[in-house]
Amino acid sequence: MIKKLIFFLAGIVLIFSLHTSGQQESLPESTEIIILHVNDMHSKIDNLSKFAYLADSLRKIHPIVFLVAAGDNFTGNPVVDMVEDKGYPMIDLMNRCGFNVSAIGNHEFDMGQELFNYRMDQATFPFISCNIKVTGGILKQPKPFIAMNAGKDISIAFLGAIELNDQGIPDTHPSRVAGLKFSDPVKKMKEFAWLKDKYTLLIGLTHLGVETDVILADSMPQLDLIIGGHSHTLIDKPLIHNGVQIVQAGANLKYVGKTTLVVDKGRLIERRDEIIPMTDLTRVNPQVQALIDKYNQNEAFSQVVGVAETPIDGYDEIGSLMTDAIKNRLKVDFAFQNQGGIRIQHIPNGNITMKDVYQLDPFNNQIVIYRMNLAEITSLICNAFNIEKSIDLQVSGLNYTITTNNEGKCGSVEIIDNLGKPFNPAKEYTVAVNSYMAASYRFNHRDTGTTASQTSVQVLIDYLSDVKKVNYSGVKRTFLNGEK
Amino acid sequence: MQIFINNQEIEIFRGATVMDAILSFSKHEYHLVKTGQTIVLDRFGKLTEPDGELTEGQVLILKKINP
Repeated sequence: MIKKLIFFLAGIVLIFSLHTSGQQESLPESTEIIILHVNDMHSKIDNLSKFAYLADSLRKIHPIVFLVAAGDNFTGNPVVDMVEDKGYPMIDLMNRCGFNVSAIGNHEFDMGQELFNYRMDQATFPFISCNIKVTGGILKQPKPFIAMNAGKDISIAFLGAIELNDQGIPDTHPSRVAGLKFSDPVKKMKEFAWLKDKYTLLIGLTHLGVETDVILADSMPQLDLIIGGHSHTLIDKPLIHNGVQIVQAGANLKYVGKTTLVVDKGRLIERRDEIIPMTDLTRVNPQVQALIDKYNQNEAFSQVVGVAETPIDGYDEIGSLMTDAIKNRLKVDFAFQNQGGIRIQHIPNGNITMKDVYQLDPFNNQIVIYRMNLAEITSLICNAFNIEKSIDLQVSGLNYTITTNNEGKCGSVEIIDNLGKPFNPAKEYTVAVNSYMAASYRFNHRDTGTTASQTSVQVLIDYLSDVKKVNYSGVKRTFLNGEK
Repeated sequence: MQIFINNQEIEIFRGATVMDAILSFSKHEYHLVKTGQTIVLDRFGKLTEPDGELTEGQVLILKKINP
């Protein structure tokens, strides 16, 4: 009888325990948080419809999905960068996708502080950075971080930071960051380590490049994750330093990163990151696709940006136009253009459209500015001549004559101003060349050079829009062996 | 700005991209990267897109892809 009673009680206990354990399985305590991350989209809008579809699909099965961008949303596609409302198409599309936050990248400043303010106002998500302080500029002071709820009793803080070059500013033209004070990103982020005590998760949303992200991870273990940008790195296998995982998804929206964070009882217990190539995705969000189609069919390319009063023919005339644009827009002393970068030999008189300008200069080269003395400028002209054994560089701001030696190489260069007077050999001048020349031409220069963060094609469009009419008939500034 | 390609120090202008630096390093390597025959890795062995922006002291490693 006692045995029967024991078996009966044991059976009840077993049934009860199975029942309660079944209840535990059906009511999980952990929470999955999905973060779709992109970086350095550079105005490449075409894949945003796929990205939007992916986000929509994930939202149907996951209650908590965040969309984040690690900076440099702009610069790199004329349908976004060269339209009247510069940059707006990108913001419009990011709004439609439902982005939650973006870091500020160096290229966010390319459009200037005033225009960036408009874009931040239009965005339904914040742009963040902890190491930018507005002291005299017109930029609206960005917030260092943004905190969001991620389910019951779970909160996430995203902390932003931007890269600085050896001059202590982000890689953009210094005039575009005037009145802004930048501080060391790693030191500044560490000042926000307290966020980890206040919020469940602390995520660095950085535009620092992977090398600085590793330094950040090594010095700030409070971070649960670093979502990075700037270096255009494809981190397809886990990169973990000091316990901090660093993720980055290439660039130009060719990939999207999907990070899954699992939180249990207020603690991060699991994190996974996968890189999804956009070519693997086939479906699109039709509303976002329709918008992309609209922006891509932008009539701005047929837009007249200037008028040629006479035909502009040959390297001398066209090169003079291109270099005048650089000299005037970037306010440098001299500008040079290599002949290989001039892809049209004839611009007929009449309207010049934006499309014409892109055909003339299709390379998307940046302008690089050096401080150089006359001897260094001479070395630039001579070395360029010696490669082709003919005049290669067109110029604005000076005229030059090369006299060759008996080997047919550059023997000497006479450099004069437009009135025929020589320049001061002891003075330093600002000299602009394109990034192709800066990287591939060998010439003497003590200054490392700095990008103006503007492409030569952008500069030419802006110049033509300013001056409206141009006349380069008979313009010639470069001469060989005494020719006039 | 100084960076390193295949352990060789390269002086390049501020704001240069990976491709600018490779062009400065070698026109031949530039062509190989442009035509997809060589890929660019960083010091952690991660793939770097050719239009990636550089930071002071960055390390790049050029690796030929086996046909």
